[in-house]
Amino acid sequence: MNRAADQSQVNPLREGLSTRAVPQPCSVVIFGATGDLTHRKLLPALYNLAADGELPPAVTVIGFARREKSDADFRREMEEAVRKFSRQTVRDEIWKNFSQSIFYHQSDFSDEAGFKSLAERLDKIDKERGTRGNRLFYFAVGPDQFEPILKHLKAVDLNKACEGSWARVITEKPFGSDQTYRIDHFLGKETAQNILVLRFANAIFEPLWNTRYIDHVQITAAETLGVEGRAGYYEGAGALRDMVQNHLLQLLCLVAMEAPSDLSADSIRDEKVKVVHCLRRMTTDEVATNVVRGQYAEGAINGQPVPGYRNEKNVNPKSMTDTFVALRLNIENRRWWDVPIYMRVGKRLPKSGTEISVHFKKAPLVLFNKETNESNVLVIRIQPDEGISLRMQAKMPGTSFRIEPVKMDFHYGTSFGKASPEAYERLLLDAMSGDATLFARRDEVEEAWAFIDIIENAWSAKKNAPDLFLYPAGSWGPEAADELLARDGRSWRRL
Amino acid sequence: MPGIAENYSLGQSVEIGKIDKELKKLWREGEGAMTRASLINLAVYSEKPGSLEKNTQLIARIAENHACRALVIGANRNSKENRVEAWVNAHCHVSRAGNKQICSEQLSFSLEGPCVKLLPSIVFSHLDSDLPLYLWWQDDFPEPMDPQLWEWVDRLIFDSQTWRDFGAQMRLVETAQQEAKQRIVLCDLNWTRLDKVRYAIAQFFDHPASHHHFGKIENLNIDYAPGFKSTALFLIGWLGAQLNWKVNQPARNGSCRLVDTNNRKIDIELRQREGDPIGEIAINSSGIQFRVAPAQCGDLLEISRSGENETALPQSMPAQSNDPVDLMTQELLRGGPHSVYLHAVNCVRELL
Repeated sequence: MNRAADQSQVNPLREGLSTRAVPQPCSVVIFGATGDLTHRKLLPALYNLAADGELPPAVTVIGFARREKSDADFRREMEEAVRKFSRQTVRDEIWKNFSQSIFYHQSDFSDEAGFKSLAERLDKIDKERGTRGNRLFYFAVGPDQFEPILKHLKAVDLNKACEGSWARVITEKPFGSDQTYRIDHFLGKETAQNILVLRFANAIFEPLWNTRYIDHVQITAAETLGVEGRAGYYEGAGALRDMVQNHLLQLLCLVAMEAPSDLSADSIRDEKVKVVHCLRRMTTDEVATNVVRGQYAEGAINGQPVPGYRNEKNVNPKSMTDTFVALRLNIENRRWWDVPIYMRVGKRLPKSGTEISVHFKKAPLVLFNKETNESNVLVIRIQPDEGISLRMQAKMPGTSFRIEPVKMDFHYGTSFGKASPEAYERLLLDAMSGDATLFARRDEVEEAWAFIDIIENAWSAKKNAPDLFLYPAGSWGPEAADELLARDGRSWRRL
Repeated sequence: MPGIAENYSLGQSVEIGKIDKELKKLWREGEGAMTRASLINLAVYSEKPGSLEKNTQLIARIAENHACRALVIGANRNSKENRVEAWVNAHCHVSRAGNKQICSEQLSFSLEGPCVKLLPSIVFSHLDSDLPLYLWWQDDFPEPMDPQLWEWVDRLIFDSQTWRDFGAQMRLVETAQQEAKQRIVLCDLNWTRLDKVRYAIAQFFDHPASHHHFGKIENLNIDYAPGFKSTALFLIGWLGAQLNWKVNQPARNGSCRLVDTNNRKIDIELRQREGDPIGEIAINSSGIQFRVAPAQCGDLLEISRSGENETALPQSMPAQSNDPVDLMTQELLRGGPHSVYLHAVNCVRELL
């Protein structure tokens, strides 16, 4: 993407109205338009953007899928989905105009003729609706479909854009050119974006953000949900590919990166990629000691019995897919030397929540050594209840010197009444305006895969492959995950 | 517990010297069920009779979106009696995130007689420390203005639409801003009123291929409601300042003329019509009309671009409500120094 070209001619009437890049008229082609992601996230996000006046009127949505249906059928289906999943109530007046920008294109992903007719249709839309040859291709499909779609887009020249226009691709996880926007919806969340502000706009944190003051960092992404009808995808992915390779490593990058030289997409991503590059690559033996994989067995969530993973629909009864992963990582650079990073991600855990906790070193045990064994912990809650808290020590009222931990707590929802836009709204808007800051760059993804591949290879080894531990649904994962920290004299933070 | 149920009352009457103590008591009684939240100090000043009650209702609604410590001040300079009264209250609502009550506290003051001059010392000694002070001044500014006031204020909020003498009032505000070494940000709700309309007009010209129209705009028609001519003038002032148009003929008898840098004339017709503060706006440029108009439903704008060989793509965008709470909510969402506003003011002065 060439942002300089995008911003070469600035609209003087925009001054003071918007601090972000403005989306350009374009055709948004969604591959997998009849799927869950389109229904639950993409169309509601596009509707909300339209309702907030953020979308240029020419923006056109073309759903591309195998099933036969008319534009009218697709619009009706999308209306139902948007009414069900939109964060704001659907207004008939707005829907009426917005729905006129939605079209359906029926074709198989392997049928080149379907792509040829898509190209013709897009040309026609350019002329009729003023989308100016700008195309955003959203791959809301499984990764196995990426290749045939890309091949056919290339075959009909849709991978190229005319001069002054652009063609961009958004892929969903797990990430597998540089007009590819690899979406990571965690990065669209306010708190994830706020990590940079917290670190670099507050003078008090950055001086402490290093091996001298930080003992360790924990990143947790827990969910109570099981595989929920995604077995087909999940069987081939597992927690490591589904969550660690993208979301958790992206969060780690934001926590661990150096200050970028400016806020441009490339400056930020230059710094992020260095973090992944510095992750110490494990040997096969080290995978066994530093990575724990688990799979949920039968148990209970919120008092309700739930089946084990292997008993879920469309799951192989002998499946070795990981639904839980805990890792101990090291970043080999000056700032993070000797600061272990613990990550855990799992399904069917007792509570849903994603957070980063930075555990500071204990104060010297001189004055209060008998009174406290607690350290300061800074917690960045990504979801739900986005916010930041800081645990510190305070003297209990009274004549004796009794010390107890207290918590300073900032909740987005309490301080700011306005609802944050959905992460997909922010990310779609950024893709339309050519701002790639919140998307993963190719080298970041490649570095992340290089790191993950070592673990996967160790797991799939025929000899001495590390165990897959079963854990009851509703527990905090296998005991081996607790032992991973216990070995270092630490424990997981209680969510 | 006093004031926790939302009843729009001023709350519990307290002695000025015991405000802090009463506030502590208020929070202690609600501990566990209530969370105190505050991002700004929001002071509201009015000399209109009954303003304390009216502003209490406004603050209760504003605080739902902007957690603050509100200081609501009702003053009567003309009273012979020198009297100060104070109340404490809390406005609570259930947060989006959960079932906890999020509460903003309100301190109310009634100042009568000569003590009105002591506004800074009586009222502003009760600010929540470290948080910025936004002062919403609801009347015309008195002359001379108290320079001590500006030492405290970060953002000064007013509505120039209600001013009796725009030129004189703006001079006072600008002087105050200069005395504060430009630290104070001027926030005019009359300008906020134009936010969505400006947004709607601006988006016509987002694509560089539309920029040639800036040099081809021939004329504009702007409808405005009775009492909102100043709002319409701000709209013209904004276009003039941003597009480098100079005033050639001030706004008299429903029209004015500006010229661009090539001395090309742009004629503007101002029409007073019943309805929204700003009604239909039509910008004509070489056969293309850019139109923004309030939709019948009242809270949307209809936006269209039409011309020969063009497919009209109707669009709806949110409209700015003229309700004072909505205007304040919108204003409090914005940051920055409002430099575009200051440029527009210069143009408006020449239009008058």
